[in-house]
Amino acid sequence: MADLSRLGVAIEDGDRDLAVELTLGAIAEGITPQAILDAMTGAMDVVGDRFQANLIFVPEMLVAARAMKEAMATLEPFLVQAGIRPEARAVIGTVRGDLHDIGKNLVAMMWRGANIEVIDLGVNVTAEQFVAAIETHHPDLVGLSALLTTTMASMRSIVGTLRSIDLGGARIIVGGAPLNAEFAAWIGADAFAGDAGAAVAVARQLLGLATGPGGSNGPGIGRAVQ
Amino acid sequence: MSGRDRVLAALNHEEPDRVPIVIGASNATGMKVAPYHGLKRLLGLDSEDRYIYDWPELGTILPDEAVLERLHADVRGVFDSFPAATLARNRSRAPHGPFIDDWGSGQVEIEDGTWYPGIHPMADATTIDAIERYPWPDMDDPSRVAHVHDTAARLAADGRYAILATPWLLFPFERAFAMQGLEQFLLNLAVEPDFAEALLRAIADRCKALMGHFLAELGEDVDMIKIGDDLGTEQSLLMSPAMYRRILKPIHADYIAFIRERTKAKIFFHTDGDVFDLLDDLVEIGVDILNPVQSGSGKLGNLAEVKRRYGSRLAFCGAIDTQRVLPTGTPEQVRAEVRRAIGTLGPGGGYLLAAVHTIMNEVPPENILAIVDAAVEFGTYPIRD
Repeated sequence: MADLSRLGVAIEDGDRDLAVELTLGAIAEGITPQAILDAMTGAMDVVGDRFQANLIFVPEMLVAARAMKEAMATLEPFLVQAGIRPEARAVIGTVRGDLHDIGKNLVAMMWRGANIEVIDLGVNVTAEQFVAAIETHHPDLVGLSALLTTTMASMRSIVGTLRSIDLGGARIIVGGAPLNAEFAAWIGADAFAGDAGAAVAVARQLLGLATGPGGSNGPGIGRAVQ
Repeated sequence: MSGRDRVLAALNHEEPDRVPIVIGASNATGMKVAPYHGLKRLLGLDSEDRYIYDWPELGTILPDEAVLERLHADVRGVFDSFPAATLARNRSRAPHGPFIDDWGSGQVEIEDGTWYPGIHPMADATTIDAIERYPWPDMDDPSRVAHVHDTAARLAADGRYAILATPWLLFPFERAFAMQGLEQFLLNLAVEPDFAEALLRAIADRCKALMGHFLAELGEDVDMIKIGDDLGTEQSLLMSPAMYRRILKPIHADYIAFIRERTKAKIFFHTDGDVFDLLDDLVEIGVDILNPVQSGSGKLGNLAEVKRRYGSRLAFCGAIDTQRVLPTGTPEQVRAEVRRAIGTLGPGGGYLLAAVHTIMNEVPPENILAIVDAAVEFGTYPIRD
């Protein structure tokens, strides 16, 4: 019997080969794709919690996300076959004038780890590019990132443009080093996410999604991976 | 009291006549071109723009002496140069083309005049072989330091200002970001630790080689040598303390020992973010001055605790918030920020007042004048509450 908790630990530890092997094993044994997916998203919740609690740091988070990505790619065809869809869809980008992407990438990884489909527009993204992506993809979430104080003005202007169009119910989440919740509210965003771990909890809260099956949204529990 | 005496007293953890002011003497304590133009306008000064490292793409101004005097700047900078061939190659490149430095890493222009370090020549490298095969720059090229002796000697003979000397980015961890990209290198720290450590060591060897030449040219004419590596984020560290201690701290320790063998200058260590949990380590390996004390981030925001725990072992340079107060605050709010920093970090000396990082283009020049005028007003010893 494949052990889904071992799959979770493999993802948390960033062991991509083992994560793929255990995913294939679980599929071969006829465990439902939903149960396998839940084990994976639960593991990423644990990763996010540990990151927020300073039990792990960016390198460990990157390696866990990489293992998650490969295990998920292995599972994907079976999810499609079973008709299991991502819980939500997000468009994300670093705003115009800024090429810093690690924060945005970490949020994208964690959203994907929470079974949110992510369309990553990259860096230096203009208001027009956000608008076009929203019209094409009809996302539930729009994520905007900025690292430089210089580009906070760009973020404000882009959110202003997004507020002037029909967002189809999409919610706007902003994040980045110099930002805070007051700034987010002031420029008209729906929420501020302080880090990539928080971004999952904030997204779920905005969308009314349940907390992932294996983790909590509170400060982390578990062991440090150092 | 001369600016230099003021700085030396503060670094000696004694109270000078007022808190020294550091502005314009390095990239991390510098300013971008827009606020500089604003300042010149306010002051009625007209002079040609010059850039530190003779490098417009970095965008950090080498301020005119008249501006520095108005800003009560107590420190002057000495810099190295790109090799002559690197400068010549970049000057003859196509307009708006990428700026490639001597290491092979480079900057791309995002929009007119705004450059971002986006070229990482070792992005795909994961093997020791790739490190050995890489065409590393020649650190013995004499054009890198040809001007250093004269510049430093002139400042030292003048004697009015302390000298802060900084070769460009001889920072092993940050140079590894430049070579691989931040995300890729951080991933490699986790999945290819032997490679990551070997890359850091290969870089550190080059840093030491150039630093050796730079220090030889400076001779006695230097008060502070700036090195560093960004180790923190707004909330935490870029790597676990355990990983820092295992991989990077020995490299920093060796580098600092190398510098100390060659100069009496103080070690000015620049490291962004909330590095509170590494301060004991930095003290242990010989850091004298912590910069920038990023006061908007995590535990470093508790300046009183930082001063209480480390004030006798570290001097501090920075602490004036560049993320919120300087770009969006009023001059009155800037004055309050300066007063708060001086009131907490100033007593007993050991504090050089500076902005947390480069003063960015959106900072009003009035706020820069507010920093320095408040520093003179509130920073005159004895500090009053």
